[in-house]
Amino acid sequence: MAIKKEKSDFLLEINVEELPAGYVRPALDRLKAAFIERLKAERIAHGDIIVYGTAVSLICYIKEMLLRQEELSQEISGPPKRIAFDENNNLTPQGMGFAKNQGVRAEELKMKQTPKGEYLFVVKKTASRPSREVLRSAIPDIIKSIAFPKTMKWDDSGMRFARPIQSVAALLGRENIKFEMGNVSMKIVKGADPAAYLGKIEKTYILDQDKRKKEIEKMILAAQKKAGMDEGVDKNLLEETNFMVKSPVLMMGEFDKKFLDVPKDVLAASMSKHQRLFTLSRDGGLVNRFIAIIDGKGRDLKKMRKIYADILEARLKDSLFFYKEDTRLPFAELTPKLKDLIFQKDLGNMFEKIQRLEELSSFISEKLGINADRKEDIKKAARLCKTDLVTQMVGEFPSLQGAMGMEYSLRSGEKSSVAAAIKEHYLPKGTDDDLPETIEGAVVAISDRIDNITGFLGSGIEPKGSFDPFGIRRNSQGMIQIIKSRSFRLELRGLIKKAIELYKGRLRISGDELEKKITGYIKERLEFLAPDTRPLELKRAVLEAGCDDIVAVFKKVDVLSDISGEKYFLKAAKVCERTSNILKGARGENIGAVNEGLLKEEQEKEVWKAYSADSGTIKELIKQEKYKEATRVYGESFFGPLHEFFDNVLVNAEDAALRGNRLAMMQAVNRLYTNGIADLAMLPQIVVQ
Amino acid sequence: MKKLSFQEVVDKLNKFWSSKGCLIVEPVDTEVGAGTFHPATFFKSLGNDSWRAAYVQPSRRPCDGRYADNPLRLQHYYQYQVIIKPTIPDIKKVYLDSLKALGIDLKAHEVRFVEDDWESPTLGASGLGWEVWLDSLEITQFTYFQQVAGIELDLVPCEITYGLERICMFIQEKFNLFDLEWYKGVTYGDIHRRHEIEYSKYNFEEADIEMYLKMFEYFEKEAVRLADKSLMYPAYSFVLKASHAFNVLDARGAVSQNERPRYIARVRALAKRCAELYIKK
Repeated sequence: MAIKKEKSDFLLEINVEELPAGYVRPALDRLKAAFIERLKAERIAHGDIIVYGTAVSLICYIKEMLLRQEELSQEISGPPKRIAFDENNNLTPQGMGFAKNQGVRAEELKMKQTPKGEYLFVVKKTASRPSREVLRSAIPDIIKSIAFPKTMKWDDSGMRFARPIQSVAALLGRENIKFEMGNVSMKIVKGADPAAYLGKIEKTYILDQDKRKKEIEKMILAAQKKAGMDEGVDKNLLEETNFMVKSPVLMMGEFDKKFLDVPKDVLAASMSKHQRLFTLSRDGGLVNRFIAIIDGKGRDLKKMRKIYADILEARLKDSLFFYKEDTRLPFAELTPKLKDLIFQKDLGNMFEKIQRLEELSSFISEKLGINADRKEDIKKAARLCKTDLVTQMVGEFPSLQGAMGMEYSLRSGEKSSVAAAIKEHYLPKGTDDDLPETIEGAVVAISDRIDNITGFLGSGIEPKGSFDPFGIRRNSQGMIQIIKSRSFRLELRGLIKKAIELYKGRLRISGDELEKKITGYIKERLEFLAPDTRPLELKRAVLEAGCDDIVAVFKKVDVLSDISGEKYFLKAAKVCERTSNILKGARGENIGAVNEGLLKEEQEKEVWKAYSADSGTIKELIKQEKYKEATRVYGESFFGPLHEFFDNVLVNAEDAALRGNRLAMMQAVNRLYTNGIADLAMLPQIVVQ
Repeated sequence: MKKLSFQEVVDKLNKFWSSKGCLIVEPVDTEVGAGTFHPATFFKSLGNDSWRAAYVQPSRRPCDGRYADNPLRLQHYYQYQVIIKPTIPDIKKVYLDSLKALGIDLKAHEVRFVEDDWESPTLGASGLGWEVWLDSLEITQFTYFQQVAGIELDLVPCEITYGLERICMFIQEKFNLFDLEWYKGVTYGDIHRRHEIEYSKYNFEEADIEMYLKMFEYFEKEAVRLADKSLMYPAYSFVLKASHAFNVLDARGAVSQNERPRYIARVRALAKRCAELYIKK
């Protein structure tokens, strides 16, 4: 029997209290995808799906939806005929069992010819339900599946959404579909099908978000052209504005010219971020005008324009006030005010901090062999890098720290490299952020970070799990990134010692213990920053040899993992492993130097011969950072003799002098590699074929 | 539109919210940064009793002082605070009605609800909602509380905080606070200018940092001691004092970015203890 497939348009409208502008588009995408998924699973065919959104409504319009699910008929095959029927053509217990399991009567069983013979089978039909019924349970699921960055509850139903849902309308043809979802009320649409209903809305505002956005853009461009301004629209602000208004109306206004003295960053931030105004420029320079996109016709534009301008001016007046206050004195003269700013409880004030930064920066410059002029610039940048924290502008716009320091120092006639370093010493702010571009900025950035890490860890602050409010990990990581990218050859231990020393006994945790803690965090970050493709054990083995030279650490990890399959590498690893095992037994003992006169056995003399012949070469190769060659010489030189040695000589001899001497030799061989390159004994399962 | 004076605006709002079933209560008598700190909001948001109240709360934000030089900023200003618990479905409409009751023409002017997820880290309170713009002038903070003192709320309260000066600016079309008419020819400036200038000077230049650092410690200690004795209200008043001492230190430039979270966490811990005492009762 052929059933005429009836279909109607469907519409879902979610009326919600103002959603954050940025939430609307992702919510619409999700709404559409969720309907497509669910309708497919429910076997309800449909035509185009279109979504419309504003801050207060999310609409999904589905054309030509079938009014019933497609019937589902499934063939399920059972046992072969010879098992299902006996010789009298009666169902066997197996045949009956199949019918019973499938919930069909014996008469409904069918036969089917397959390549493997004749089989029993059934056709199972799942009854089709009216779409109306299916939607009743599908709609709440779909609405609840819309994810937002933040959700809230507003009543005792437990329902969550980005903002309270006021009502929901669902129309299939002219029929209102009612369903239960929290305490949300149903909006009843009378006497209209979806197309007619949307037509009615369209008369009150621009329904389609893309059309609306284009409309706004067109308005702005036209206004700019008419006023003889540069044409261009801030894309982010346009997208945001599009979801704040339904019926856009453009209003151009003007503010007092004197506010153009406010630095451009600040002016633009005040206008676009605070008041959602489009800035206007002529020949690339900001002019004292703004464009506001307001909602709804019939407003009192004359009064509104004045209000917008008055509020903007009041805001800018604040900024101008800050700017004037901040620039009353040369920038450098504000620096002593840092004495009133606590750096950190127990760690003194910010002025003391910059004094340390000056010393640290000079220390680093010295190590890097930076010339005297530049060294002075770096020191100057270190002295000024925190000064903007006492300015009012940064008090008001904390995100402008660094940027204002640059602006103000340039104004006071500082060198541009010094000014840039002030801004850049805050970089990188996160893993993927830019690094300082100037060497001045890089040096001050390293100083600031090592000073932070030392101070925080020294006063007993440590990250707990992923909670690292003082950014000890972030600081360590940033420092490593800068050192690595610039290939700075710093002796990290020296730098750490200097940083500790500069706190002049103010720290709760003292010298060696603190040094170890700091190194621990730096190693943890080094492990994290070395490429994932390198084996973790290898990274750890390299770090065991120290991280004094961060650039070398990365190089070693790369080189060693490249050669880790080579035979000489495995031999070297084996040498480390065997010597290390023997030394473990003597842990805590005082092992002296090798006394050649005490070498008795042939095999131990051979080992020492190898040592005397090649240790100089190996040390030199390590010094030249030729890790591959050093590993080759080490492995080839010691593997054979050591093998013989262990087979024939007892290290733990009864004669304490002999034992001590043999341990000394083992230690010498071991340290030659493990102190210089990596403790390969830490690698798992070292087998030399 | 009749140009209501400051005094009349308060009067109208009291009448309006009174008619919506709110108790009109009086301000808390300690320096606070906002109406949320009033026990009528902080404590009453907790637990499962219904509650509706409205009140004027003089609020202090030492950092916002401008020596009476700025048309929009004050270190001492007035909030009109409404708390409706649990919130009602048409609360936004009721709020808009309150604006109409003040004579504001919502056809000629645009009201915009701009995303602003409010948070008071010192009180461990947060919620979702908006800042309400009237032609780009922020006149109200509108929040559905989700948490107070770090405690998830079962009955969601709606907090509506009007900036009284801002509303008057709009109504009186005067974009300088000090020109606002308080009542019958007396201006806001007549009443507050000298107060603003002197307190700006005090907060930024004179407040004794050493003294405030010590006071913070004393207030904290006293709050803990009182909380240990289950004296919730006295303990809470010392939380407020500690919070204000921190604000003064902040204005005085004596708190660095690194120190700030620690101070805030200390106040929050105290507020949480008081909230726990309230719930236990």
